[in-house]
Amino acid sequence: MKQTTKLLSSLLVSALVASSALAEVRTWTDTSGRQVKASFIGLDGENIVLQTEDGATHKFPLTKLSAEDQTLAKTMKPSDQPVMLANATVAQASAAIDKLVANGLVRANPERAKGGKKPITGFNPLANDEQFVRRVYLDIVGRIPNYAETTQFIQDSNPNKRAKLIDLLLDSPGYNSNTFNYFAEMLRVKDRLEQDNLRGVPYINWMQHQIEKNVTWDKLVFDMLTAKGKMWENGAAGYLLRDAGMPLDNLANTLAVFLGTDVACAQCHDHPFSDWTQHQFYEMASFFGATTTNMRAAQNRKEKGKGMASMNAMNTLMPKIEEMITSSGQDIKRLRNGIRNYMSANTYMVGEMDNNTMKLPHDYKYPDAKPNDPVEPKFITWSKNDKNLAAYKQKTKSAEDLRPAFAKWTTDPSNPRFAMAIANRMWKRAFGVAVAEPVTNIDDPKQAVNPELLVHLAEEMKRVKFDIKAFMRIIYNTHAYQAEATTEKIAMGEPYYFQGPLLRRMTAEQAWDSYMTLVLGEPDKYAKPLEDLYSRSIDLDLTNPKLDAQTVLIKYDAFRKMAEKERALQGGSLADAGGDMMMEGGSKAKGKAAAKPAAADMMENTSLTYNGMILRRASTLEQPAPPGHFLIDFGQSPRNLIDGSIKSGSVPQVLMMMNGKAQQMLTSSDSLIFRTMEKVKSPPEKVEALFISILNRRPTLAEKDIAKRALSNGEDGYANMIWALINTREFIFIQ
Amino acid sequence: MKSDLNKLSPMARRDFMMRTAQAALGVTVLPSLNMAAAGSTTGPGTPGFGKAKNVIFLWMGGGMTHIDTWDPKDGETKGPTDPIKVNAGSGNLDRLGGTMEKMAKVANKISIIRSMSSKTGVHDQGTYVMKTGYEPRGTIVHPCIGAWASHFLGRIKGPTLPDSVVVNSGSSYPGAGFFPTTMSPIPISNPENGLQNIKPTTSTQDQFKKRLSLTDEFDTAFRKKFQSDDVKTYSEFYDETVKLMKSEDLKAFDLAQEPSTVREKFGRNNFGQGALLARRLVQAGVRFVEVQSGGWDMHNNIDQALGTTASTMDSVFAALIEDLQSNGLLESTMVVMGSEFGRTPDINENDGRDHYPLAYSTVFAGGGVKGGFVYGSTDKDGRRVTDKQCTPQDFQATIGHAMGLPVDEVVMSPSNRPFTVGDKGVPVLDIFA
Repeated sequence: MKQTTKLLSSLLVSALVASSALAEVRTWTDTSGRQVKASFIGLDGENIVLQTEDGATHKFPLTKLSAEDQTLAKTMKPSDQPVMLANATVAQASAAIDKLVANGLVRANPERAKGGKKPITGFNPLANDEQFVRRVYLDIVGRIPNYAETTQFIQDSNPNKRAKLIDLLLDSPGYNSNTFNYFAEMLRVKDRLEQDNLRGVPYINWMQHQIEKNVTWDKLVFDMLTAKGKMWENGAAGYLLRDAGMPLDNLANTLAVFLGTDVACAQCHDHPFSDWTQHQFYEMASFFGATTTNMRAAQNRKEKGKGMASMNAMNTLMPKIEEMITSSGQDIKRLRNGIRNYMSANTYMVGEMDNNTMKLPHDYKYPDAKPNDPVEPKFITWSKNDKNLAAYKQKTKSAEDLRPAFAKWTTDPSNPRFAMAIANRMWKRAFGVAVAEPVTNIDDPKQAVNPELLVHLAEEMKRVKFDIKAFMRIIYNTHAYQAEATTEKIAMGEPYYFQGPLLRRMTAEQAWDSYMTLVLGEPDKYAKPLEDLYSRSIDLDLTNPKLDAQTVLIKYDAFRKMAEKERALQGGSLADAGGDMMMEGGSKAKGKAAAKPAAADMMENTSLTYNGMILRRASTLEQPAPPGHFLIDFGQSPRNLIDGSIKSGSVPQVLMMMNGKAQQMLTSSDSLIFRTMEKVKSPPEKVEALFISILNRRPTLAEKDIAKRALSNGEDGYANMIWALINTREFIFIQ
Repeated sequence: MKSDLNKLSPMARRDFMMRTAQAALGVTVLPSLNMAAAGSTTGPGTPGFGKAKNVIFLWMGGGMTHIDTWDPKDGETKGPTDPIKVNAGSGNLDRLGGTMEKMAKVANKISIIRSMSSKTGVHDQGTYVMKTGYEPRGTIVHPCIGAWASHFLGRIKGPTLPDSVVVNSGSSYPGAGFFPTTMSPIPISNPENGLQNIKPTTSTQDQFKKRLSLTDEFDTAFRKKFQSDDVKTYSEFYDETVKLMKSEDLKAFDLAQEPSTVREKFGRNNFGQGALLARRLVQAGVRFVEVQSGGWDMHNNIDQALGTTASTMDSVFAALIEDLQSNGLLESTMVVMGSEFGRTPDINENDGRDHYPLAYSTVFAGGGVKGGFVYGSTDKDGRRVTDKQCTPQDFQATIGHAMGLPVDEVVMSPSNRPFTVGDKGVPVLDIFA
C-alpha cells in the first residue's frame, strides 16, 4: 500500500510538471504469475492499456491481471499522453497529433499575452487547393507541380483528394529524389572527397537505392555505422569514409545528427554550457577506437598483411608501370601522379584492427585522468535511469564488438534520443521549425515548445517502426500541416506553436527542380546515366598477389575515359523536353519539337543541356554542384556542415535570378513553358496558363489587368511576364 | 524528484562553478591577460595597427617553393637557379631566388617572414588554416579575414560595392564562415568578365525596367500578406542588386577601363589581370580582395615547372607594388602573399619538390610594412626554422592587426563557441615600420 501511494504521488507530480517523459514503468503481474515491465496508459471499458518500453501498446481485459494490480490500476490516473494502437489508421494518427498541437496552442496564450500578442484561437484557416497543391508537391517531391498536375488537382471533386494526392506523391520517384536531397544535406554527402580520386559516388548511389526501397531509418543508420570494406564494395562504408582520417569529427556529427546531441565542444575541452565532459566524448569515441579507414594507415591490425600487400603493390608495380609507359612513348611525368592516386584510392576501406587504440588527447587537462591514457568505451546517458534501458545492454568485449555495439545502442527504439531526433527533424521539414530547436541539440525535451508533442512524435516514429514515409504521411495529413502558412512575424528564437506551417524559402534543390519542371514538364523522366561507371572502373585489388602492371594500366585507362563517356551522353536541347502536357489527347507537339527525335528515345541514356547546364534533377547532378552553378548560388550546402544550406539571398544569387543562364532558358521561346502557353489562343488564357505553370494559381482580376497592359506594349510581353513571375518573392517562398 | 530524471546526471557531481571558471578562464580571459602581460602586441598605438585600410591577398595555390623564391639557399638544396642580390635599401634583406628578377628591384618595399611553419602538408587543410587561422573542423566553418573585417568594421561606406571580393576563385570557401552570408566575399571567376550576370539579358534598359516593375506589381499582394523579415530581406537584396547594376561603381569591375599599357604591364594572364582588378577594386573602396593563382604543386621537374609560374608571379607582384605606389595607394594598402605550405628542400627522384609545411615564407608590402626586411630564418638548407617561428595563426593575426581588428577579442559563434581572429595568434609587429 505504501508503495502504491508513492507511485501515485510521483505520477501526480509528473502530470503537474507537464511531464515530457512517459509515465512510470512498473512490473505488472497477471493471474498466472507472468510479469511484464510497462507503464499505465489508461482503462478502456473492461480493458487496460499498457505500454511496454519498446513503445508498443497492449490492450487486454483487466481481469487478466492479478487482483492487486487490478485494484492499483483502478486508482491510477490515466496518462495524458495520447496512445496509438499499433494498427491505428493514418487519420487517427493525424488526429492525435492535431489534438496535441491544439493543446499547445491553448497553453501558449498566457505567455503570448505577456509579450503583447493576440491570443491564438486555433489553427490557421485551411489552405486553399491552390496553396495546398503547390506546398505538397514542393514538400514531398521537391518541385512545383506542372500545369497539368495543378489543374487536375484543383478540378478534382473527390472529398478525399488531399489524402489521395499525398499517397500518390509519397509513392512517386520525386519523393526519393527529394528525400535524398534532405539526407545528403544532413549527412554532408559529397561526390569529391578530400582524398585524391576517392569519390562519394558509390555511397550516393547506395543511399538513393535505400530510399527507393524505403529502407527504415534505423536500418539505414545501423548499416552506415557498421559497414565494412571499400565504398564500391559496400556503399554504406561511405558514411565513415566521408570523414576518413577525422574519426572524432565524424563522431561529433554522428551524435548531432542521429541523436540530436551536440558534443562538439567536448571534443577539445569540457563543454562549457551543457554537461558533457571531454572524457565522456572520448569514451564514446572509444567505440570507434579499433576502426580504421585506410589500410595503409592501420598499424598492428589483423589485416596488417593486407596493408603491407597494398604498400608493396604500389612500390613494386610503379617502376614497372613507369617503364611500360615510357617505352610506349608517353610522358610518364604527366601520368605518374594520376596513376599513384588511382591506386591509393583503393587503400581506403573501413575495417577493424585487433585492439582498441583510443587514447585521451596529449593535452588532456582535467584531473580525472592523464593525457594519453587509454579510454574504455562507455555510452552517454541523458538521465540516470537510462542505463537500465535495453539499448544499454551491449557486448563490448572484443574490438570486433565495438562498432556494432555502438550502432545497436544508437538505433535501439529504447535509446532516449534516436527516435526523437529523427521525428523532430521530420516535423521541421513539414513546418519549417522543429518542436525542439536546434535539431542537432535537443538537450532537455521538457524545454521544447510542446513537450508532449515531441514525446508523442518520438513514440509515433517507433510505432511506425522508423518508416519515414509512413511517418511523413501522418504529418502531411494533419490539419496543422494543411492549414495556411502563418503570416504573423515570428522573431528569431521566439517560440512557435504550429498553428500552420511557417513561410519557408525554397531550398536550392526545390528551386532548381522547379525550374526543371518548367522546362522539362516531368523531370523525373530524365534519369542519371551510367551510375556505376565509377565503381566499376576505380576498383583494383591491391592485395591480389597476381596484380600486374599491365592490368593496372588497362584499368587506369578505362577510369580516365569515364569522364569522356559521361560527356558523350549529353545532348538534346530545350525543344526536346516534355510531352504533351496540357491537352490530353490533343494534337501532339507541333513544329520544330516534332521534327527532333522523340524525347522518350533520348531519355534512356542522354541528358538534355542548355548552355552548358545539364537539365536534370538536383539529386542526379554532382553532389554538391560545382561552383557557379545555379544550385550553389541559390544556397545549396557545400556539404561541409550538417544542414549547411543557406536560405538567404545574396547579390550573386539575385543577379543569377535576374540575368543568369537559367533565366534565359525559361524566357527562350524553345522552353516548354512557352510551348504550353502556345496551346491556347486568347491572351487571357495564355496569361492564366503562365500563372498556373509558375505560381500554381489563377491570376486575380487585378493581375489580369496588369498582364493585359504588359502584353499591349510589344512582342516581348510574354517573356517579360515569365521573368516577372519567376522573380517574385511569391515564387521562391512556400506558403 | 521527477524533474531530476531528465537532468544530465553524470556531470552534476562536478562543481558547476569550477567548470564555468575553467571554461571562462581557459578559453576567453587568459589569452587577453597573456597579451597584456607581454606588453601591448596589438591595439591602437602599436606599430602598424590599422594602417592597412585595404588588403590584397595574393594566394599561391599548390604550395609555393620557398627556396626558389623568398628564402634562397646555396648548398645541396639549391634549386635550378642561383640566388640574386637585391635592392633592399637599409634593410636586412640580402637576396632572393633567381627567378625573382623584378621583385629584386622593388625589394626595398617588402618584408618577408622566412620562419613560417605549420602542421599540415595536405592542400585543403593547409589552405584552410592559412586563410582562417583555424584547422578545419567537421562541425563549424571559420570566417576568412575579409568577413572578420566586415564583422568588426562594418559595411564599407558609400559605394554599392561589396566589402570583399575573391578573384579567380574555384570556390569562395571558407567565405563568411559562421558570420552572416552577407559578409561572404563576392567571387569573380574570370577577371576579364567581371561580375557574373551583371548585364541584363533584355535588349533594352527600358525592357529591364518594365520587367522589374511588373514583378513588383504581381508581388504586391504576397508581400503585403507576408511581412516577415525573410521576405523583406529578399526585397532589399533585389533593390541593392539593381542599384549595383546601375551603379557607376560597377566600372571598378571593368578592366576595359584601364589603358592597354597598364594591362600589358600586369601581364595578359588571369593572375596579372586579377591583380589589376584587385587594384581597381581597392581604389573604388573594396576592403579585402583575394587574388588566386595556381601551378605551384611542383612534384616533377621543378626547373621546367618554375618557368612561367615563378616569372608570372614575379612580374605581377612587382607590377602591383609599382602601380599601387604610383597611384598613391601603397601606404594604405597591404599586399600579402601566402601559400598553403613550402616545398621539400631536397629535390625528389622526379626532379621536383614535394609538400613541406615545416618551413616556408610569406611576403608583405605596403600598409605600414617595413621595406627590405626579413623576419625569422631557416637553417642553411631551408629545412627547419631556426629563429622566430611564425604559425598560420600568427600570420592571420598579423593581417588582422594591420587592418585594425581587435584580434584578441573573443567572438561567440551562433553555436556559442568562442573564436578570435587568427585563433589567438600573435601579430608579428617587427615587420611594421
